[in-house]
Amino acid sequence: MTLTVTNLSFERQFITVFSQLNFTLAPGELLQIRGENGSGKSTLLRILAGFIDAPPSTIQWNYQCITDCLAEYQQQLHYIGHQNGIKHHLTVYENILFYSALGNASTTDYSSILTKMGIAKRLHTPAHDLSAGQLRRLSLARLVLSERPLWILDEPLSALDQSGQFILGNLLNEHLAAKGMAIVATHHDLPLALSSLKTLTLERA
Amino acid sequence: MMIKALLTMIHYECLLTLRQAFSWLTPLLFFIMVVCFFPLALGSDHALLHTIAAGIIWVAAVLAILLSLNNLFQRDAQEGYLELFLLSSYPLTLVVFCKVVSHWIIYCVPLLLLTPVLALLLNLSFYENFILILTLLLGTPVLCLLGAVGAALTVSLRHQSLLLPILIMPFYIPILIFGTSTLVAANSGQLLNGYFAILAALGLLCFAFAPFLAALALRIGVSQ
Repeated sequence: MTLTVTNLSFERQFITVFSQLNFTLAPGELLQIRGENGSGKSTLLRILAGFIDAPPSTIQWNYQCITDCLAEYQQQLHYIGHQNGIKHHLTVYENILFYSALGNASTTDYSSILTKMGIAKRLHTPAHDLSAGQLRRLSLARLVLSERPLWILDEPLSALDQSGQFILGNLLNEHLAAKGMAIVATHHDLPLALSSLKTLTLERA
Repeated sequence: MMIKALLTMIHYECLLTLRQAFSWLTPLLFFIMVVCFFPLALGSDHALLHTIAAGIIWVAAVLAILLSLNNLFQRDAQEGYLELFLLSSYPLTLVVFCKVVSHWIIYCVPLLLLTPVLALLLNLSFYENFILILTLLLGTPVLCLLGAVGAALTVSLRHQSLLLPILIMPFYIPILIFGTSTLVAANSGQLLNGYFAILAALGLLCFAFAPFLAALALRIGVSQ
């Protein structure tokens, strides 16, 4: 499994957001995307997740253009953006069940996942009573709920406290050790154990 | 496995809407009010009310459903759930279909249940009532399916409250015509097979194409 990006440029309303990006991501690698506010990090991640159309044959998954196999490609990836993707009127447990129905969860051991994320005590709390950090932890629980090789995370550390950041670091380490791939946009240094870290810095156009 | 997942989705979609009482009560109360206003405004002319009864109920039902359509994808868009639908292990078309089914259960089934009560106000007989409910039973899923396409098209707009009804109303005209004329035909003693067949055909057509179109429109909405 590889993700190859060649000569990716993107413009919005005739203004270039970024141009001529090139990188390859192989199993076990993590790409950290850095850049100032407004340099197009989130846009790049949304393009890589297939939400925004990329110019043909600039993004290839296993040497096949993602626009040709969009549905299959999107089932291989997790995307966590600025919004957590949590139903505020469902409890933590119901949120997990709802997502599992949608995402074809590979495990049903929900309680151990929530223990891992440090929100096991909040199992039957409605999501609108959770704090921002707890919502983020619940949203990150999706990464473990169904196994997918590519993780695309947009500022995953936001709202997380020290222990939350540590948990995310562990998740990423385990994922990469199991030959997973990750693309993370963040300003902070990730608490990672390994060296296979690539960095891409976006310049503001 | 898949059926179970789809039923779980429908179950939680219904639960979600039920927990936000104002969102399902508003269209329902609106439906009751609109139907009640006609006898109040037109006086106790039984014959007149009886003639226009099917039209009143149908127009009120269409308006109530139009009122409810903004709720279909709006919250998902705000909560970042549309992205999850796109990344789902099931085709987006199927997810959209589940959402429309739950929308119909929450918003239209109460309308159907209330119709016999409201029909009393409009002086409808038991037989006419039965025909009216049958037409609504066939027609309301079509309204929801077509509405889903409109709701998906307008999901990325911020202030879309009136655009959606205006966009979708012209497509409701055939349903409205066949829905109301069935009762007229029933009163004049015609055979009703043709009317029901047309309503069912429209239903099947929308069943086949609307979820697919709505899914396409949602993909465009997410890319904005």
